[in-house]
Amino acid sequence: MLKQKRLMVVWLGLQLAFLLLLQEAFTLWVSLIFAALLLTRFATLVYANTSLSLKAVNVIGACVAVALLFNLKQAGVLNFMLQILLLAAVLRLLALRQLFEARQLVWVHYFLIGCCFILHQNMLVALVIITALFANMYSHYLLFAPAGSNLKPANIARATLIILPLWLAMFLLFPRLPPFWQIPTAKVASTGLSDTLDPGSIEQLVQDDSLAFRVEFENGVPERQLLYWRARLYEDFDGRRWQENPLRSGSNYRNVHQGATPAEATLDYRIIAEASQQRSLFALANPWQSSANVNIAPSGLVLATKPVSQRTSYQLSSQLQPVAVLSEQEQQLNLRLPAGNEQTLAFGRQLKAQHPQVPALIDAIASHFRQQPYFYSLTPPLLGANSVDQFLFDSRTGFCSHYASATALLLRAAGIPARVVGGYQGGDWHPEQGYLAVRQREAHAWVEYADQGRWQQFDPTAAVAPQRILSSLDDALSAEQRQLLTSPWQRNALLNNLRQQLMHLDYYWSVWVLGFNDDNQRDLWQQVRQNLQRFAYGLAFITVLALLVVALLWWRRRERPTQPQAYRLLSKTLSAMLRHKPAHQPLSAFLRMLAEQQQNEQRQLLLALITSYELALFNDDAAALSALKQQLKQHRNTLRRLHFSAQNT
Amino acid sequence: MLTQLHHVEQSLNQVILGKPRQIRLALCCLLAEGHLLLEDLPGMGKTTLAHALANSLGLSYRRVQFTNDLLPGDLVGMNIYDTRSQQFHFQAGPVFSQVLLADEINRASPKTQSALLEAMEEKQVSIDGETRPLPKPFFVIATQNPLFHAGTSPLPESQLDRFMFRLSLGFPDHQAEHQLLKHDNNQSRLTLLTEQLNTEQLRALQQQVPQVHASDALLDYLLALVNNSRHRSDMLPLSPRASKAILRSAKAFALLEERSYVSAADVQQVFPYVAEHRLDPASSAQDSRLSQVLLQQTPCQL
Repeated sequence: MLKQKRLMVVWLGLQLAFLLLLQEAFTLWVSLIFAALLLTRFATLVYANTSLSLKAVNVIGACVAVALLFNLKQAGVLNFMLQILLLAAVLRLLALRQLFEARQLVWVHYFLIGCCFILHQNMLVALVIITALFANMYSHYLLFAPAGSNLKPANIARATLIILPLWLAMFLLFPRLPPFWQIPTAKVASTGLSDTLDPGSIEQLVQDDSLAFRVEFENGVPERQLLYWRARLYEDFDGRRWQENPLRSGSNYRNVHQGATPAEATLDYRIIAEASQQRSLFALANPWQSSANVNIAPSGLVLATKPVSQRTSYQLSSQLQPVAVLSEQEQQLNLRLPAGNEQTLAFGRQLKAQHPQVPALIDAIASHFRQQPYFYSLTPPLLGANSVDQFLFDSRTGFCSHYASATALLLRAAGIPARVVGGYQGGDWHPEQGYLAVRQREAHAWVEYADQGRWQQFDPTAAVAPQRILSSLDDALSAEQRQLLTSPWQRNALLNNLRQQLMHLDYYWSVWVLGFNDDNQRDLWQQVRQNLQRFAYGLAFITVLALLVVALLWWRRRERPTQPQAYRLLSKTLSAMLRHKPAHQPLSAFLRMLAEQQQNEQRQLLLALITSYELALFNDDAAALSALKQQLKQHRNTLRRLHFSAQNT
Repeated sequence: MLTQLHHVEQSLNQVILGKPRQIRLALCCLLAEGHLLLEDLPGMGKTTLAHALANSLGLSYRRVQFTNDLLPGDLVGMNIYDTRSQQFHFQAGPVFSQVLLADEINRASPKTQSALLEAMEEKQVSIDGETRPLPKPFFVIATQNPLFHAGTSPLPESQLDRFMFRLSLGFPDHQAEHQLLKHDNNQSRLTLLTEQLNTEQLRALQQQVPQVHASDALLDYLLALVNNSRHRSDMLPLSPRASKAILRSAKAFALLEERSYVSAADVQQVFPYVAEHRLDPASSAQDSRLSQVLLQQTPCQL
């Protein structure tokens, strides 16, 4: 009785807390009704220790529900739902007589606690809600704990300690959906390639290990040499720094070729780009078709409609051929030569004189880089004003941006329109998860030159450091430089592995949860309709599997493995009688008592049973065990009909 | 051989009337190669039991009345200088017998007690650096008087542990005592007891005891029982020696019942006599409260 009263007090307090917490959802008169109901309950508890009759509670409930229904339009659906929920809880409490009637109330309270978070996200209120949660857990304990158990602070502390890491992990790792009412926050620094390329900007990116984007290919991953992800075109050169031409950022997008499939081989893929706060996205070669959320610029670059502030996924289809030269103007744009770098210009002109044909000229440049002592390094020496001259003829040590920049200038000097392309090269292929992960460190720069009406691609880095293109950046660098790239915690294999797993997990989350939109849904339903039969088999299989698992769990729960088989067999058949067996009494002793009470035939049967039981259990006699099984099977019904009278003992 | 043992049991029952249970337990203790501690008032038939056992099994029997001036040498014997042969020769003490009745063991000094208990455990004695084996079988029946504690040295728990069983014969019931009075020829009956089983046969029976089968399930039950006594404040914990003693005596009990396996009931039968004096050394032999508590609180799913 005392326990019951304590439970009542806890619940009354809890519901009062709900009333206050959900205040915003209630109009004044609704709150007053609830307060009155709670007060009634309090009064009946304290002064009479009874509860209202079920009839009275039903009438009150119906009246209040009707009143709430009339108020529905004013209150809105959400508030109405909250009111009804609280009404149900309060009325249940009002009519409560037996404890077992109250079991579902605990669950309703848990739900109400969750609802409080709809209206409040304030930290202090959250503390109140958590207190309410603890109060409800206490009532849960009072209601369901077996008699005689008592709550020890040490046990609570231990349980809390055990659950704390899990709780923290849930809090830290549980993926969160961005709330739909989120207001765009202050500008976040953008990541990835910027609109200028100076010697050194890529080196900085290379030290960034974070993910740039992921790619899923429809028909297998292409060779690594083909994976040049174009992101930006740098066409203005001031002698030291390459910049995007302001004209490019205009909004004249190429019309997407609808329907017409090009003759060339195409590559279909889906890119999931990380948030970069930039509009520029990534594409292979010459994209001609895309999903609606991105645009393809005439230059073959892909642009988002607005800066990418959260993970974005888009579909692309690329022709594996260079982008077409758009206009004479575009060619002229890429022939401009800034002042300075005289040596380079002279060298370019000289090369042109030696190799009038464009392909021959390209080969000459590549072999120049290959044959002369040029080095690929992440830490090139600092360059002065005529950076290209210094690089080409002095330091001869540089990174992809140095080579690309020098090559583009050489080509321009030779009268061939050329530009630097910024983007990413390669990526880590994860065959199990089926996606290619491209990180910021894969940032790369190469050259495009106009020939035969198209912007041909040429990567001078491939001539200097072919490993960079064929395998990875790490292979192209010396051990020391690699060391520079990895922070200490990345060298820890375990942490690294964990990070990888988290990245994969994140991938699945973004694909299956964040990326699951209307289109996917429609596709899925279409597929379900088409493959109903296959799905039916699959579903049946899963159902059977689930049932098996449940059955197994149930079976394991039921049959404790600590009991020997002979005991299990007997106790199953005689379960009704065994209620009378004192826990400490051996089963055979009990059966002997039972046999005493029986008439001839049954007594003989029981004695035989005892013999084979004892032999099976204590003598580990397999023959006796099978005999026992046989006896039990044969006389199951007789045994079930036996009656044990406790008085006779 | 078992039938002969039952004959022994029958004839013992004719000498000590109305105590079949205690007689069976005493035989059980003998079979299990343990020693017996009888706690009884004087005149309850302790000596008779010991004597009858020795007679019917054809074992040599000695009785030592323990007093506070009894010295270890009085018990185990000593080297005595023989003036005629001019050398020491060993005078064996009463401990060199197959059945030794150590009467009122708690009257002796701890030193003498220790000498006896060492002999019980090692089954040999060392005198002047010479180790002499005791006869086999070697069965000690010690008695102690529960009431008159003045001038006694109660056995400490470590030494109580050496006794496999602690029993009390207790008063005979009306019918048995009536019978006893009617045929007041107890002593003559004792002398009439003939040897039913010789020493070799007894040894063979003792060697059969460990071969009695104990299933894993039974061992688990026994361990649950023993474990239950540990980590408790109301009783002393049962040692592994105690659990060995329980198992061995349960096996002997099963053998006496002519079974080749131990059942849970066997364990429950012997448990109070093996456990009680280890759980609470200060308890009396009639009392088996703590062992009953353990038996009640250990679920038996066998």
